[in-house]
Amino acid sequence: MKLNLDDLVKCAVVDVFSQAFGLSITPEESGSLILNGEPHVAGAVGFIGEMTGVVYVYCSARLARKIAATTVGLDESSPEADDLVNDTVGEVANMIVGNVKAKLFERGVQTVLTIPSIVRGSNFVIECVSNTERAVRSFRTSENHQVVIEVLLKSAD
Amino acid sequence: MGPKILTVDDSKTIRLIIGKAFKSYDCEVFEACNGVEGLAVASKEKPDIIILDITMPVMDGYETLTKLKSDPDLKGIPVIMLTAEAGRDNVLKIAKQGVRDYLIKPFKEELIVDRVSRIIDLKPKGGTTTKAKRFDDPLRVLVVDDKPAITELIAQGLKDTTWTVTGRATNGEAVDYCHSQNPDAILLSLSLPESAGFTLFQMLRTNNKTKSVPVFGMCVKTAMEDQSRAQQMGFTGIITKPIDMDDIKNKIARALSLDTSYKYFQHKNGVLLVTLPAGFTAHTANEVSIHLRTKISEAVDTGLDKVIFDLSQLKVADISLIKLGLEVIQLTGELSLKLRMMGSEIVSNECRKYEETASWRFAATFEEALAQLSGKELSNA
Repeated sequence: MKLNLDDLVKCAVVDVFSQAFGLSITPEESGSLILNGEPHVAGAVGFIGEMTGVVYVYCSARLARKIAATTVGLDESSPEADDLVNDTVGEVANMIVGNVKAKLFERGVQTVLTIPSIVRGSNFVIECVSNTERAVRSFRTSENHQVVIEVLLKSAD
Repeated sequence: MGPKILTVDDSKTIRLIIGKAFKSYDCEVFEACNGVEGLAVASKEKPDIIILDITMPVMDGYETLTKLKSDPDLKGIPVIMLTAEAGRDNVLKIAKQGVRDYLIKPFKEELIVDRVSRIIDLKPKGGTTTKAKRFDDPLRVLVVDDKPAITELIAQGLKDTTWTVTGRATNGEAVDYCHSQNPDAILLSLSLPESAGFTLFQMLRTNNKTKSVPVFGMCVKTAMEDQSRAQQMGFTGIITKPIDMDDIKNKIARALSLDTSYKYFQHKNGVLLVTLPAGFTAHTANEVSIHLRTKISEAVDTGLDKVIFDLSQLKVADISLIKLGLEVIQLTGELSLKLRMMGSEIVSNECRKYEETASWRFAATFEEALAQLSGKELSNA
């Protein structure tokens, strides 16, 4: 079965950002992650089953803090602020991949999600092994924040 | 003391969202970050409801649920599951495990409050404890909108109720009305010029007379920012345009805890008759489900031991009906009551399509069902 994962991801990102955070977000024609030395946060959630892979959601730490502030009323001075930002990005990734999972299920593809994990930094690259399909899609919020989704996919043998 | 809500989720974000959602209600929210902690908190606090995530480290939601259901002290606690999956199969799988409801992430705060309030009695903080009103009691509904057509539309849509709808176009007029009339519910446009709707909401909440009156924000579906702002300010709920009148009725009924049970439950010829209406929806199923245990217990208390579940007005069988039917069967079974279902040929044929309902048998009339029950036929469908 031919699945257009890019379309599923696009729908999922737009749905999650609007429904959960009230943010308008638009897919860009092309795009890769622009780090510019600015601190970024990447949330990753894997899925295993009839399709196996991992989805990374990259965004700037600024956008992550804004989402956390909108969603849970982040207190910047709290010692737990960074943890909460990490948790929020993990949850964003979880919701996006959960949304994709539900659409895959409707198409007869069963998968199980992993627990989210987080990578933070100003200059990092995530590389994949050679037999993995890689797709990158960039999005832009109405306030010009970039969000990048990277899907690494390995067909189950 | 309000009801206790336990949220079990490994994501602090989700736990905080849930905590925030219930902040304006008279309830206590407890948290646990995995199933093991959740079971410990449940044993200690005996919550009235548990909101349980599925994917968690240490112990996931399914295992937690199994352990809850096998513990005699905890098995009666209703559980709402948080899931990433939709689809009929998944819903049935969840229903069979004894889960009362499920929510798909992402969800709005309003939605989780809505689902929880269908199961437990939630009251706004500072709310009065007056005698429960019925859905058919006369209520005053104030519509604050600068477009008279909206007020007219709502008035027309509520014509089948005993409620009185009054329209006001400005904040000043609305405040004057509230001062003299004590509305039971207020529908407030969020698109009034200069954010006047939000200003009015703050005025209503600082006034002793109106601080507990449910206020619903009205806006178009796509006005996400207005909806988000209203939710953060503590509006009772959001009504989106185009307006669904059933949605307004249901939201007002829930906010005022109106008793709707009389529409579905009655004692007739020594039997508890549970009747589902022709316009049966998932909401109807939830409404019946909320009252089911209490009504059956009341019936048993008065000496009744027979239940007739009347589906004769229905034309289709869907997931909501299946879930409700299974609940009725389970509850009557637990109390050793005699149950008979009543339905037309159409609904009988519909039920044969599904594995879960294929064995349901229907009497064609009330008299036939009654005769079968009286003939010592102990049939849980």
